[in-house]
Amino acid sequence: MTSETGFDPALYDRFPIRKARPKGELGELERIWAAPTGWARLTVINNNYIGLWYVGTAFLFFILAGILALVMRTQLALPLNGVLPQETYNQFFTMHGTIMMFLFAVPIMEAIGVLLLPQMLGARDLPFPRLSAYAFWAYFAGGLSFFASLFFGLAPSGGWFMYPPLTNMTYSPGINADFWLLGIGFIEISAIAGAIEIIVGVMRTRAPGMTLDKIPIFAWAMLVFAVMIIIAFPAVILATLLLELERALNWPFFDATRGGDPMLWQHLFWFFGHPEVYIIFLPAAGLVSMMVGALSRTTLVGYRLVVLAMLATGFISFGVWAHHMFTTGMPTMSIAFFSAASMAVSIPAGIQVFAWIATLASGRPRYNTPTLFLIGGLVTFVIGGLSGVMVAMVPFDWQVHDTHFIVAHLHYVLIGGSVFPLFAAFYFWAPMSSRHALSERVGKWVFWLMFIGMQVTFLPMHLTGLMGMPRRVYTYLPGSDWVVTNFISTIGAYMIGAGVLLFVVELFRSFRFSVDDSAGNVYEGGTLEWAPAGIYSVRSIPVVNSRQPLWDNPDLGKDIKAGRYLLPMSATGNRETIISSPLRAEPQYLEIMPLPSAWPLTAALSTAGAFLLLTVQAYGVAIASGVVAVISLLRWLWETDRPVALKLADVGGGIKLPTYATGPSTHGWWAMVTVLIVIGMVFLMTIFSYVFVYGIHPQYWSAPPDRLWLIPILGGYAAAAGLALLGRHLLAREKSTKWSPPTQILLAAAALGGAFTADFGSWRLHGLDPELSAQGALVMAFLVEQAQLVAVSVLMALYLAARTSSGLLSRPRNNSFDLTVLFIVYTAAQASLSSLLTRLFPGGL
Amino acid sequence: MSPLISMRSATRMLQGWPPPLLDPAGPYAGSTTLLAWVLFGMGALVLLLVLAALWVALFGRAEQRAKLGGPTLIWIGGVAFPVVVLSLLLVYGLSLTRSLSGPIRGDEMRVRVTGEMWWWRVAYLDGDRQPFLHDANELHIPAGRPVVLELESADVIHSFWVPRLSGKLDMIPGRRNLMRIQADAPGVYGGQCAEYCGGPHALMGFTVIAHAPAEFARLMQSRLRASDASAPATPEAALGARLFQSTGCAACHRIAGTPANGLAGPDLTHVGSRRTLGAGILPNNRGTMMGWIGNSQAIKPGNRMPPYTVLSGEELGALAAYLEERK
Amino acid sequence: MPPVHALLPLLLLATACKPPPEQRPVMPAADAARGKQAIERVGCGSCHAIEGIAWPKGAIGPPLDGLAGRAAIAGRVPNRPDLLAAFIRNAPAVAPGTTMPAMPLNEQESRDVAAYLYEIGD
Repeated sequence: MTSETGFDPALYDRFPIRKARPKGELGELERIWAAPTGWARLTVINNNYIGLWYVGTAFLFFILAGILALVMRTQLALPLNGVLPQETYNQFFTMHGTIMMFLFAVPIMEAIGVLLLPQMLGARDLPFPRLSAYAFWAYFAGGLSFFASLFFGLAPSGGWFMYPPLTNMTYSPGINADFWLLGIGFIEISAIAGAIEIIVGVMRTRAPGMTLDKIPIFAWAMLVFAVMIIIAFPAVILATLLLELERALNWPFFDATRGGDPMLWQHLFWFFGHPEVYIIFLPAAGLVSMMVGALSRTTLVGYRLVVLAMLATGFISFGVWAHHMFTTGMPTMSIAFFSAASMAVSIPAGIQVFAWIATLASGRPRYNTPTLFLIGGLVTFVIGGLSGVMVAMVPFDWQVHDTHFIVAHLHYVLIGGSVFPLFAAFYFWAPMSSRHALSERVGKWVFWLMFIGMQVTFLPMHLTGLMGMPRRVYTYLPGSDWVVTNFISTIGAYMIGAGVLLFVVELFRSFRFSVDDSAGNVYEGGTLEWAPAGIYSVRSIPVVNSRQPLWDNPDLGKDIKAGRYLLPMSATGNRETIISSPLRAEPQYLEIMPLPSAWPLTAALSTAGAFLLLTVQAYGVAIASGVVAVISLLRWLWETDRPVALKLADVGGGIKLPTYATGPSTHGWWAMVTVLIVIGMVFLMTIFSYVFVYGIHPQYWSAPPDRLWLIPILGGYAAAAGLALLGRHLLAREKSTKWSPPTQILLAAAALGGAFTADFGSWRLHGLDPELSAQGALVMAFLVEQAQLVAVSVLMALYLAARTSSGLLSRPRNNSFDLTVLFIVYTAAQASLSSLLTRLFPGGL
Repeated sequence: MSPLISMRSATRMLQGWPPPLLDPAGPYAGSTTLLAWVLFGMGALVLLLVLAALWVALFGRAEQRAKLGGPTLIWIGGVAFPVVVLSLLLVYGLSLTRSLSGPIRGDEMRVRVTGEMWWWRVAYLDGDRQPFLHDANELHIPAGRPVVLELESADVIHSFWVPRLSGKLDMIPGRRNLMRIQADAPGVYGGQCAEYCGGPHALMGFTVIAHAPAEFARLMQSRLRASDASAPATPEAALGARLFQSTGCAACHRIAGTPANGLAGPDLTHVGSRRTLGAGILPNNRGTMMGWIGNSQAIKPGNRMPPYTVLSGEELGALAAYLEERK
Repeated sequence: MPPVHALLPLLLLATACKPPPEQRPVMPAADAARGKQAIERVGCGSCHAIEGIAWPKGAIGPPLDGLAGRAAIAGRVPNRPDLLAAFIRNAPAVAPGTTMPAMPLNEQESRDVAAYLYEIGD
C-alpha cells in the first residue's frame, strides 16, 4: 500500500484493540467535552449544540418567510385585494426572497453540515468550533434584526436582487435598502466562516482510512458547496460593498450619468446569484444520495458518477450567470454561450436523478415519510428542471422572463431540489439528536399536504405566467383571467402552510434534544454518524474501510463505543481531534481544540451591533461596537495556538502523533489560504468591474498620476514582503533575540502603511474625486480594499508583538507568526497589483 | 360597454386562453410559439419517461427493477438521452435566436420608447432619427411592416413587453436597446412593464395599435396638423385651457402649440385620442379623466402626479373638456 | 370645499337615521342595469367607490353605497330622485362650488344612474 505522508497503513491492522481500556478514561473524556450549564450554555461551541441551534434558527426563517408568502398569496388571491398596500407588498416580496435565499437556504445547509459532518467524518468536532459559534451568533442576531425591520416599515423594497438604480439614494432614499445590505453582510460573514470550517473539516479531519472514494457523499456535496461559496460569495461581497459606498458616499459605480453602469451590478450579483442556486441544491442532493441508499437498504448506484456530477455542477454553474440577463440586450455570441452552458448544467442534475432512480430500483425502498419526501422531491425537481431547460432557450425566455412562469419554475427547482430533501433529512436524522423519532403517521400527512399543496400552488402558476402576469406585482386588475389561476395558487399555498404547521406541531410534540440518549438509527443508515456517540462524537475514532462502515462491519459500533480504535481518551487532557492528510486521510497530528468561551458570542453580538448601528446612522456607537468586536476576536484567539507540554501523544495502537504542528500542512494554514482566496476573489471581481466599466464608458476616464510614483509604492510593498519573510527566517534561528522576529513584522506593517499612503496620496494630489466619475470611484474602491488589508496586517503585527511580550511565541516555528507573514506577503502582492493596474490600464506605460 | 370589457380588447394579455405567447400576432412573436410547443412536448415526454422509470423502480417486477438498478440507467437516462435532446434543442434555439436578432436594415420606421416611473414616453423619429411627434403610453404602427423601437430609460430599469408582438427587452439607463416588432394585422395589442421598477410597477401598462398602412399615414398626418393648431372649441374648453396654464398642469405636461411645455410628465398633445389613461390602466373617458386629475393617487398609488383636490367640479370638467379635444 | 374626511361624521349621521325600506326613494322610469353601463362608460368609479364597479375605485368623492338611506346629497341637497339625477348630470348647477363635476350624460341616462345608485348597498 502506498502512503501519502509516510504513515504506515499497516498500523491500521492493529485495530480494533481488544485490550480493555482503563477505567475513568471515558469519564474524563465526558468531563472535558461537557457543555457548560445554566446561562453559560450560551457560550457552548460544540457542534451538537451550535449545529442544532443553527438548524433551528434557519428553520425559523423558513417559517417567517413562508408566512410572508402566505400573506402575499392572500393579497393575490383576488384582483385589487386590499390585504397589503403597495409598498408593504413590495417589502414582503423583497424580504421573502432575501430571507429564503440568504437566511434560510444557505444557512440551513451550513447548519446541517455543522451538525452532521464531524460525526460522519469521525471527528470530535469541526476544526474551528469557536468560529462556528461566532458565525451562528452573528447570523442569529443579524438575521433577526434584519427581519424586524419589517415591523418598522424599514424593510427593503427593491427586490431580493436589488438592482440599481432603483436601489440607489435617488430612488430608495430611506435606510430600507441599507437594511438589506446589512442583512446580507451577516450572511456573507457566516457563509464564509462556514465554508472554511467545511473545507478544512472535510479535507483534514476525516477518520483514518477514509480516502477520497470513501467519503460519505454528503461530505463531498458539502465540499463542493463550500468551494462554491468561496468562489461565488466574493462577487456579492463586492457588489454590496460598492452599492453601500454608492449610497453612503455618492460614488457612481452604477450611475450611467457619471460613467458607471447599472449592468455591473447585474453581472456581479448573478455571478454569485446563479451558483447560489446550486449552492442550495448540491448539499440537498448530497443528503438525498445518502438517504436514498440507506432507505432502500442498498448502496448508492454510481457513487463516482454522482461525485463527478457534483463537481461538474459546481464548475458549470459559474458559466451560467448571464442567463438571468437574456433580456438586457446582450450580444448574440454571449447569449449563445450562456444558453449552451445553462442547458449543459442540467446534465449533471440528470445524472443524479437517474442515480437515485437506479438506487431505488436496486434496493428495497420502504413506504415511510423520508422516502416519500425523497420521491416527491425528485418528481418536483424534474418538473422544475424541465421548465429550466425551456427558459434556457433564449427566445422562449424573452417571453416568460420576469413572469409568473419563472416564479413557478424556481419554486419547483428549489422546493423539489432543496426543501423536500430537507424535510426528508429532518425525519431521517431527527432520531440522531432527539430522544424520540418523529411520528410516521403525522409525517405522511405532512408530506401529502406539502406535496399536493406544492403542485396546486405552482402548476397553475406556469399558466398564469404564460397568460402574461409579470412577477413582483402587488395586484392586478379585475376582469383578467389570471383571477382563476391565482385563486387556485392561493389555495395551494394554504395547503403547504397547513403541512408545515403540522410539522411544527409535531416537532413540539416529539422532538426532545438529546446527545447521549437519542432515539438512534431508526432508518438503519450505514455511515459513521449512526455509530454510538456522545457530546465528544465517537468514543474512539475508527479506521474506515468502506463507504458504509456500519453495514460492512457489524461490530464496528460496539468496538467504537468500547474504545477499541484511535484516541479513546483525551491524550493531553484537552479537547482534541485527529488531523489527517487530505487525500488518504492518514493521521498527521493532534489538533488541540479550544474550550467554550464567551468571546465568540460577544464578538458576534458586537459585530451585529456595529452593522446595525451603522445602518441607523449612529456612527459613534457603531465604531465603539466595532472596537469591542475586534477586541473580543483577538481575545478568543489569544487562548489558541499554544503548544502543550506533551509533544508526542499516543493515540492507541502505538501510533504517536505530534500535538503541535506548523507550516503548510496545518489546519490553520489551510484556513488562512481559504481566507486569502476569498479576498483574492473579491479583488478579482474588482478588477472585472474596473475593466468592464471602462469598456462601457471609456469617455469618462482620464490619465492616472505620474507613473514614477510606482517606484516608492512598489518599493514599499516589496520591502514589506521581504521584512516579513526575514522575520520568519529569524524566528527559526536560535541565535536571534526574542524581539528581533516580531520587530521585522512591525517594520513590514509600517512599510505596508507607507506604501499605501504613497498610493493613496498620489491619487489625491492628482485630484482624484470618487464622486465625479466611475473611474475615480473604482480606483477608490481598490484603495478601500487595500486599506482594509493594511489595517488587518497592522493589527496582526501588533497582536504578534503582544504575544511575544507574553512569551507566547514558540520557536523555531509558530502558527500565529506564520499566518501573519502569509497575510502580509499576500497584502503586499495584491496592493502592488492594484497600484499597477490602476496606473497602467488604460494607457500602458 | 364596461370599461373592463374595453380594457380587454385593449390589453389582450388580460384574456385567458390562448395565452399571448401561443397566440402571436406577428413574425417576431410567431416563431417563438412553435418553439414553445416543441418545448412543452419535450417536457411532457421527458416527464413521462422519468415517471415511468420511477414507477418501475418502485413497483415493478423484480426482473424489471434489476434492469434499472445499475449504472447503465444513469448513462442512458442521465447522460446519453439529455445530451442528444439538449443538443438538438440548442441548435434550434440558437438559430432561432440568431434569426430573431438579425440585422436591422435601417430604413424601418423608428420610434423611441423611454421607460419612466411609471409610464412610457413615446417619440416618433424621422429619417434623421430626430423626434417629430411626441406621445405617451400608446404606440401606433402600420400593420405588416417591421418597426424598430429604441428602448431607453429615464430613471430605473424597465422592460418593454408586448407579448403578442415580441419577447421583452430591458430599458437600461445609459444604454439604448433596439427591438423589432411587427403586427401582421390591424389590431390592439397590450403590454406591461416586466422589470420590477418599484412602487406601482404593477400598474404600468402599454398599448400598441396597428393600423392598415393607409389609415396609419392619415393618422400621422392628422396628428402633425393637430400639433400646431389647438384652439379650444367650446367656452368650457377655453376655461380648461386657461386652468391648464394657471393651476400648474403646464409645469409638467406639454401640449404642442401652446405655452405648456413641461417635460416631467406625459405629453398631452394627443391625450384625447388615447385609449387609456394612467399608463394603460383606465379607459379614457370624461369621468376617468376628471378622476385622474382630481386624485390619481387613489387609483395608482405612488405615481408622480400630485392630487388636485383643490379643483372644483366645474374646473375639473373644464380641464377634461379641454384635454378631450387634444386629439 | 371641505376634504372628504371632514364629511364623514355627516355621512355617519345620515346612515344612522336611515329611513325604513318602504320610504326609500325610488327612481321612476329608469333602468338600473343601463345605469350601471353608463357608470362604467363615463368613469364614475375614478372618483367614487361604487358597489358592482370593480375598477377603478377612486377616493376623491365619497363611496356611493347606501345612498338611498342618506338624507342629503353632497351634504346640502335634499336626497330626492329628481335632484339626484340632476346632480349627477350637472352637479355645479345644483350645488355651486361642489367638487363633483358635470358628467356627459343625458337626462335619461342620469336617471338610470340614479336608479342604480339607489339600488345598491343597503
